[in-house]
Amino acid sequence: MNDKKLIKRLASRAETSTVLILVVMIAIIACLQNNFFTVRTMLSYINSFTPLILLAMGQAVVIIAGGLDMSCGTTMALLLCIMTRIMDPERPVTGLYALVAGLAAAAVIGAVNGFAVGYLRLPAVIATYATSYIWLGIALFVTPTPGGKVVDWFRGFYDLKNIPSLAGIGQFVPSALLWVLLACAIWWVVRRTKTGRYIYAVGSHNDNAYDSGINTAKIQTAAYLLNALFCFFVAVYYAGQNGAGNANLGDSLTLQAVASAVVGGVAMSGGKGSVFMAIAGALIMSLVGRIIYFANIPNAYQTFVSGIIIIAAIATSSVYSFQQRRAQLKGGVRNG
Amino acid sequence: MPLLEATSVKKLFGGVVALSSGSLTCEAGRITGLLGTNGSGKSTISKIITGVYAKDGGTILYEGREIAYKNPNEARMDGISMVFQNLSLIPDLTVWQNIALGNEEKKGLFLNNASAVRQAEEIIGELLPGLDVNRRVCELNPGEQQITEIAKAISVKPKLLIFDEPTAALEQEEVKSLFAYMRKLAKEGVAMIFTSHRLWEVLEICDDIVVFRNGENVGAMDFSRDGRDPEAIVRMITGETEGIHTAKEYHDIPDEPALTVQGLTYGKYLQDISFRLRKGEVLGIGGLAGQGQNELMLALAGSYPEVSGSVEIGGKRVRLNRPSNAVRSGVLLVPGDRQKEGLFARNSIYYNMIYPKLGLKKQPFFTPEKQYRAEAEEICRALSVRAKDIDVDIDTLSGGNQQKIVVGKWLPFDIKVLLLADPAKGVDVGAKRDLYEFIMNLVREKDMSVILYASDSDELISYCDRLLIMYEGQVVSQLTGPEITEDNIVARSMRVE
Repeated sequence: MNDKKLIKRLASRAETSTVLILVVMIAIIACLQNNFFTVRTMLSYINSFTPLILLAMGQAVVIIAGGLDMSCGTTMALLLCIMTRIMDPERPVTGLYALVAGLAAAAVIGAVNGFAVGYLRLPAVIATYATSYIWLGIALFVTPTPGGKVVDWFRGFYDLKNIPSLAGIGQFVPSALLWVLLACAIWWVVRRTKTGRYIYAVGSHNDNAYDSGINTAKIQTAAYLLNALFCFFVAVYYAGQNGAGNANLGDSLTLQAVASAVVGGVAMSGGKGSVFMAIAGALIMSLVGRIIYFANIPNAYQTFVSGIIIIAAIATSSVYSFQQRRAQLKGGVRNG
Repeated sequence: MPLLEATSVKKLFGGVVALSSGSLTCEAGRITGLLGTNGSGKSTISKIITGVYAKDGGTILYEGREIAYKNPNEARMDGISMVFQNLSLIPDLTVWQNIALGNEEKKGLFLNNASAVRQAEEIIGELLPGLDVNRRVCELNPGEQQITEIAKAISVKPKLLIFDEPTAALEQEEVKSLFAYMRKLAKEGVAMIFTSHRLWEVLEICDDIVVFRNGENVGAMDFSRDGRDPEAIVRMITGETEGIHTAKEYHDIPDEPALTVQGLTYGKYLQDISFRLRKGEVLGIGGLAGQGQNELMLALAGSYPEVSGSVEIGGKRVRLNRPSNAVRSGVLLVPGDRQKEGLFARNSIYYNMIYPKLGLKKQPFFTPEKQYRAEAEEICRALSVRAKDIDVDIDTLSGGNQQKIVVGKWLPFDIKVLLLADPAKGVDVGAKRDLYEFIMNLVREKDMSVILYASDSDELISYCDRLLIMYEGQVVSQLTGPEITEDNIVARSMRVE
């Protein structure tokens, strides 16, 4: 009796299907790759998945607020280019300048996107697609060919072992994990403030939120600012990893971040979903590539198969919303 | 001094007068009923007071000072709270989150959720005990949503509370507990404005009433002084409208079924609807706005795949699960919202006329332009559409001419049943008469049948052979021939008999 109730409650939650898919994928990959459950493998996975996880979280915030950010990849690339351009390995203090400049640039980028979508009420897809070219253009101006330098201590943002004094901690704690935890902590706090509540309200029903006294444009701008902050984290992480900037680095990440959020159960219509579940979405998106690699699928079919897996993942996570719509019709909920 | 005094408030919507001179007075501790038919301006004046609309004239004094709020929240913070008919809730937030929305208390950096939940539980406890405040609004039924909306309005402790049709979605029991709560608020000195189409509710809860018709006050009644006379109220609402309709001649219609509907059900919008439509008959659908009339039209036109029930057209069973089935069977819809449902506004008259054909019939590979153009021009002449030629864009035409195109595009089809969903909405008087005359001629000549839903009862009286009154998704009564009068329609719609 109690078991049935529990199953029913779990089945009625959007998160369940996403977690289920993730578990299945981990099981598959654990079978394919014999050394999956080793510290070494885990560490390499965490290191390579972190950028997408962070971008997916930022994207989730924006989508929940009723927007979309088609510029998150180039935003990240621009911040990376600015920072690697400023830094001079001879003078460690320039690393600090780079961080400040990067953060300021992130704030400007978030504000511009937020202004276009929130205040000018431009369609989010088009507006941010347009701004993505602006960020890319500036990035190409700053760093025409991949290059730039970082100061030594910046490498610690990728791996604490790169800094002698922190190497001890670095043995046990990967930097990548710290970045994800930091992003989670920030969202955890925001979620409990007015801004966090209003982000959901604005995305769910913009007009009613406005009538309830919420400054909807301000809230959407806040969402874009938060997203830009997470892009900044990724930029710092990449700077530590690559030690150089590349204007074209982020291109492929943008749509992957959107897809990750959707696979994680964030509804494109806004107001629904969880930023934390976007992490699960990003893991699923990342694992797709690994599974295909270890399954020995011929090169020629890899892209094709990964497309099918992603569609299947999205379809599974939307079964829930389809069922809910039907239930609403039966119960006769008017505003859906 | 009255709490609120609105004097000759005026409001225009794109040149159309919604409110020509509305006046209203509210006093602390009194519940004032606001009555009138659809479009009489009673909602408009409420929305002007709370800042949803800006007024175009007149004065509103609140606590002795002139007010003009920019949005409902400003009014709410100033002590005027409104319960909206089309709710102002956020579907993805919980009940308590909605009740606190825009007015959250903080505890340090974070929101004080514990106190918000407590306050919500307190109010909900009196209005609808048993409603879990942790449920999300999109999971609630309409009644529970309405209660949440009311709780949201009450939570800010307003001095003036405006209810716009709060009871339409509520069950008897819920209405009773709402009334109990309203009386308690009145004792505490809160002034209230109450709008409802259900007359018995108004008689029970209000201290006095104000009646609106065509955008202005036509009467007022203080129940303690004048007594509670429902007949007099109905007369005030409808006005002296006898004698202005074109007299309808009723013919005998042979009992040949054109359309038989059995047990049509769609969610909660349509419940077990059955009727027979005879060949050559004009069947009216009346009742208060939003009782399922539009849904019935759309269901018959095949817009709802989930609909259940059986439909026979000319003795043959038809599945109306998609629009193309309905069109193939000769059931054609002239929708109420022509901009959204009936036309491609940015395309030309000609394109709009041929889309239905391209979509359905077996078409030659190349469209026979010449033939179709001639046909379209012919229809435009027949309907006397005022346009330069058939290549002008639809959105350059007037509302009446646009509606003629919506009707005209079906003319080349073999029309068995024409569904008219408020076809004259926003159409001027002359064009309205032309349109109806044309359709009634078709009925006589082509032996087709019509189902007509009109929000204006004049149109129903002038053109219908028979009238079904709908109420909350059901057909509740039927008027035949000379029985179709304004008084009868209003009485049956409000269920006063």
